[in-house]
Amino acid sequence: MIFWEIAKRNIRIHLLRSSLAMLGIVIGVVAIASMGILGNGMVLSVSESLRTVGDSVIVTPHAGGGGGHFGGGGGSSSAIVLSEQDFQQIKRVSAPNSAIPVLQTTDRMKLGVGKDDIVALIYGLDQDDVPGLLTLESGDYARSTSGCLVGSTFAKDHNVKVGSRISIGTDGSRGSLRVTGIIEERGMSFDVSTDSAVVATQDWFKNTYNRDDYDSIVIKVKNLDDIENVKTAIEKQMNRREDTVDVMDTRKVMESIFEAFGQITTFVSAIGGISMLVAGVSILNIMMMSVTERVKEIGIMRSIGAQKREVMAMFLYEAMILGVVGSIIGGILSLLGGYAISSLMLQTTKYLFIPSSLIHIVYGMTFGIIICIICGIYPAWRAANLNPIDALRHE
Amino acid sequence: MGILPEKEPEVTGPDSDQPVMVFRDVAKVYPLPAGDVRALDGVSFEVRRGEFISVMGPSGSGKSTLLNMMGCLDTPTEGDIFISGTRTGDMTDAELTSLRRDRIGFIFQYFNLFPLLNIIENVTFPMMLKSGRGVDPERGKEVLRAVQLDDSLFTHTPTELSGGQQQRVAVARALINNPDILLCDEPTGNLDTRTGAGIMDLMTDLNRRGTTIIMVTHDPHIAEYSRRTIQIIDGRIVS
Repeated sequence: MIFWEIAKRNIRIHLLRSSLAMLGIVIGVVAIASMGILGNGMVLSVSESLRTVGDSVIVTPHAGGGGGHFGGGGGSSSAIVLSEQDFQQIKRVSAPNSAIPVLQTTDRMKLGVGKDDIVALIYGLDQDDVPGLLTLESGDYARSTSGCLVGSTFAKDHNVKVGSRISIGTDGSRGSLRVTGIIEERGMSFDVSTDSAVVATQDWFKNTYNRDDYDSIVIKVKNLDDIENVKTAIEKQMNRREDTVDVMDTRKVMESIFEAFGQITTFVSAIGGISMLVAGVSILNIMMMSVTERVKEIGIMRSIGAQKREVMAMFLYEAMILGVVGSIIGGILSLLGGYAISSLMLQTTKYLFIPSSLIHIVYGMTFGIIICIICGIYPAWRAANLNPIDALRHE
Repeated sequence: MGILPEKEPEVTGPDSDQPVMVFRDVAKVYPLPAGDVRALDGVSFEVRRGEFISVMGPSGSGKSTLLNMMGCLDTPTEGDIFISGTRTGDMTDAELTSLRRDRIGFIFQYFNLFPLLNIIENVTFPMMLKSGRGVDPERGKEVLRAVQLDDSLFTHTPTELSGGQQQRVAVARALINNPDILLCDEPTGNLDTRTGAGIMDLMTDLNRRGTTIIMVTHDPHIAEYSRRTIQIIDGRIVS
């Protein structure tokens, strides 16, 4: 098609000008795609670190007052607790999913002779529940009430190893525990945050702190589609008369986090989009120049029988070529840009070559092409609507 | 002289005696702040198939306006124009453009070839507009040989050709769609006398083979090549 050929040749004879206009599109595509890739990488990275807690429903005593039970636990961090009866009810409505009662408190402890006391979080978990909830990086699960596990950060910060002894309470008033295993790093979690904590057995905890109630209950839902049903069933059972418990669906929390990341990604991509708009203005500018330079040529074409739509198409082809070539180059460079930005900010490039990241390159390229065509419409329309007589007279 | 394209008799419709162009009381008024300018004032004439007409007149007499009207580039304020029996007054821009493409060949003073296209592409450009297809090099070469352009120049660009050669290419382009009328605007105005005479010999030959030619010129020597002259002064035909 001759108009396509003319558009190509016009770009070729004005190569420098066309390349500079294309450069704007290249930058725009790279900005949008790289930001999108980074955002997606961040979401995936966080999602991976939260993956282990995405299958939980956490039940805690109602924090709004009026609900829950006022327990008498010596060192309990909260006066509002869940009773054994509450636990049994929750366990029943959550079946067949496992309900794990959690006890927690903070206490002083000493990690060796001559060392200063520290204050740390202590969990009390049933020995049978621990393997399903926590993974060890070394050692073994506690087999007796005098054994305990410690989080990986705790172990690192206080130089605690398997076999170390921890004296609990002021001057070891609450006895001592022997470390049987180090818990693998869990990162941010909603059920139990063990990285800087000590995990003792439930029996030891109950005896030591004189507790017969619980601080929270974690329900591990086997089928993720049941999370909503489990949550509803617990709320229906426990909050029938008044609000006694708060039920947190960790998946919902994660969704909120991902939504926030998605918004951040959209925002930074939009900043990249501004550079694309600037590139669009540059395309508009060179297309207007092209029309002005070729007024006489347009007059000749129209006088010998070129329709308005054909003249318009010729200029739109030109804008489209600039957009497509610029976007393809931008797309290729986005891969490099995405690689660099992922390496620098996420310390990994494993999230780059996956569809949810690569789609941002497609978005950037599509936006680049669309911007070019939109910015070509007005100059093309102006060219098509020139008066052939005036255009022929143009010098 | 090469083989010229044969004229197709049906282009003017069933009545072969029908004039290819009719002007009936045509007037063109340009409204200006200082007052209306009547560029054409009641112009009437007919052009029969195979005629060679020159339009002469001093500057500002209305020659260019008349040429624009004949080429369907402009519409009259009053009166009617018929091209090959079709009244142009009611036609849309797209229809007028198609009429120009299919029925009228244009030759300009400054050749007006496309610098981005080679000679074959320039010549076949109107044909591509008509067919919507790509270049037909054989048809282009046929017409270029008919206007006596050397084969070695076919793949050159217009800027690599002399003025006379460029005007021959322009003539070939005007002839490619077998138009009913060839409209020429000072076709030798930008050529030296000898080259101009060569172009006029080509025109005469085309006319002898059946092409209807209307030529606007201010040069009486060039007008002598035609068989009828329309004199226009102050927008009126005086002879």
